[in-house]
Amino acid sequence: MTLVILALIGMLLLGAPLFAVIAASVMLSFAREDVDLTVVIISIYRLAEMPVLLAIPLFTFAGYLLAESNAPKRLVRITNVFISWMPGGLAAMALVICAMFTAFTGASGVTIVALGGLLYPALKQAGYPERYSLGLVTISGSIGLLFAPSLPLILYGVVAQQLSIGPPVAIGDLFLAGILPGLLIVFMLSIYGLWVKRHQQTVHVPFSSREALSSLREAIWELPLPFIVLGGIYSGYFAVSEAAAVTAIYAFIVEVLINREISFAALPKIMRESMVLVGAILIVLSMSLASTNYLLDAEIPARLFGYIRDHVHNAYSFLLLMNLFLLMLGMMLDIFSALVIMVPLILPIAVGYGINPVHLGIIFLANMEIAYLMPPMGMNLFIAMYRFDRPMLEIFRAVLPFVAILLSAVLIITYWPQLSLALVKN
Amino acid sequence: MPTHHQSPALARLVRIVTLAENALLVGMLALMVLLAASQIALRNFLDVSINGADHLLRLLVLWVAYLGAVSASREGKHIHVDAIARWLPGRAKAGVGALTDLFTSGVCMVLAWQALRFMHSARESGEMAFGSLPVWVAELILPLAFTLIALRYVLRFMHHFQQARGSEEMK
Repeated sequence: MTLVILALIGMLLLGAPLFAVIAASVMLSFAREDVDLTVVIISIYRLAEMPVLLAIPLFTFAGYLLAESNAPKRLVRITNVFISWMPGGLAAMALVICAMFTAFTGASGVTIVALGGLLYPALKQAGYPERYSLGLVTISGSIGLLFAPSLPLILYGVVAQQLSIGPPVAIGDLFLAGILPGLLIVFMLSIYGLWVKRHQQTVHVPFSSREALSSLREAIWELPLPFIVLGGIYSGYFAVSEAAAVTAIYAFIVEVLINREISFAALPKIMRESMVLVGAILIVLSMSLASTNYLLDAEIPARLFGYIRDHVHNAYSFLLLMNLFLLMLGMMLDIFSALVIMVPLILPIAVGYGINPVHLGIIFLANMEIAYLMPPMGMNLFIAMYRFDRPMLEIFRAVLPFVAILLSAVLIITYWPQLSLALVKN
Repeated sequence: MPTHHQSPALARLVRIVTLAENALLVGMLALMVLLAASQIALRNFLDVSINGADHLLRLLVLWVAYLGAVSASREGKHIHVDAIARWLPGRAKAGVGALTDLFTSGVCMVLAWQALRFMHSARESGEMAFGSLPVWVAELILPLAFTLIALRYVLRFMHHFQQARGSEEMK
C-alpha cells in the first residue's frame, strides 16, 4: 500500500491531473475494502444535487465577459479622474478595483492580465516607484478573495456543508465574514502606498469636470453591477445562485447588446474558455466529494485530530501551525485544489479546538492569498513574469514588502476572530 | 493539439468530435443562463415558476461542468502540479508527459466503466429524473465524459511518446 501511495504522489508531482490522482486513490481505497466502485460515481453525481453550484458557471461566465470587454479600461479611467489628486489615492483605488475584479472573476489570475496591464503604466505615470508599481499589479490577482461573490469563498462553503461538522456554514455568512478582514488587507496595503510616496510631490492633474462626466457616462452601464449583486446578496434579496444569474445576464446585455464590445461571433469562444475553468474546478470537486465520503467512513479526520491533540495543546499553537502549513501547501497547489483536499481534513480538527468554521474559512483563504505570492512557486509570480516580461528575481523583490504586510494581516485575522465574526448574525 | 502525425481519417474524426463537444457545451451554457434568468424574472414579476426548472438547472451544472472538463483535457488545462515538469528539458518533459497521460487515461477508463454500470442500473430501475426525463439520460454525461477524456489522453500520450522518442519536433 505504501508503494501505491508513493506512486500516486509521484504521479501528482510529475504533473498528472489532480482529479485523476484523487480518483485513483479513492477507487483503490474502496477496492481494498471490497466496496462496489459505483459508489464513486454516486458521489460524483451529487454534483447535480447542490443548488448553490449553479453560481459557479454563471459568475465565471460573467467574469470572462467583463474581462474581455473594455470594462477594465473604463474602471481605470474613472479612477484616474476622481482619485489621482489624492496622496496615495491611485494606489488605494487600484487595490479596491483589483479586489472587486478578483472577487468577480475568481482567483484565476485574470485580474493581473486584464487590469494589471492598464494599472502598471498609470501608477508609474502618477509617480509611484517602478518596483512598487510592479509589486502592486502582481499582488492584484490575489487580494479580493475574501469579498463576495468570490468563487473560493463559495467553494469553501460547499465543502464545509458536505462535512456538516460543527456549526452550519451558510455561504451568506461567509460573504459577511469576509468583509472586515478583506477591508483590513486593502487598508494596510493602501497605507503602504501612502508611505512609499511620502517624499514625492504628487503630480498635480487639474480636475476636469468634463472628463469626469464623460468617464462616468462611458461606464454608466457597468457601475450599477456591483450594487445590484452585492446589495442583492447582502440584503438577502437574492440567493447566491440568483445573484449569479442576474450578473451573467446583465453582463451579457451590457457588453454584447448595448456596448457591443463582444460580437456574437466571439461569444462561443468566451463561453467555452470560461467553462474550461469551471470544468477543471468542478471535476476536482466531484472527485473530492467521493474522497471526503471515504475519509469520513474511515474516520480519518477523527484519528488525525486525536494524534494532533496529543502534540499540540491549544488552539493558538494549532492556528500558527496551520498558517505555516497552508502557506507551504498554497505554493504547490492552486487555491481550488487546496480547498477541496485540505478542508475536509483541517475543518474537523479546527472544530475540535473550538474554532468557528466560518472564521476558519476566512483564515484559509487569507493564507492562500499570500501563498500565491510566495517565492519561488507562487502562481501569481509566474503570471506577472509573463505578463510584464520581467525576470523572476525582480518580481520577487517587488512583492516582498507586500508579502510582509499581508503576513501581518493574516496574523491579525487569525488571532482576532471577532473581526471575521462580528458581522455574522448569531 | 497538433494533428500532423495522425492519419487524415483520425484527424477528421477528432475535428468532428471536437465540434460536437463545443456545440453541446455552448448550447447548454446558453440554456442555463437563459433559464436561470427567466426563472428569476418570472418569480419576481409574475410570481410563477417554471415546472422542473430548478431540477433541470442542477442537471445542466453537471453537464456543463463535465463538458468543460472534456474541453480542459483537450488543452491540458486540468489542475495539476507544475513543480517538476516545468524545469525538465524537452525530451524528458515529453517522456514524463507520456507517463502521466497514460495514467490519466487508464483512470478515466475505469471511471467510464463504473459510470456505465451506474447508468445501466438506473436504466433498469426505470426511474424518472423529473417529468418524462429518465434518470439514466441525465446520467449519460458521466460515462460519455470519462470516455472522451480517456480518449483525449490517449491522443496526448501518442503525441508525447513520439516527442520523447525524438521522432516528432518539439514545440
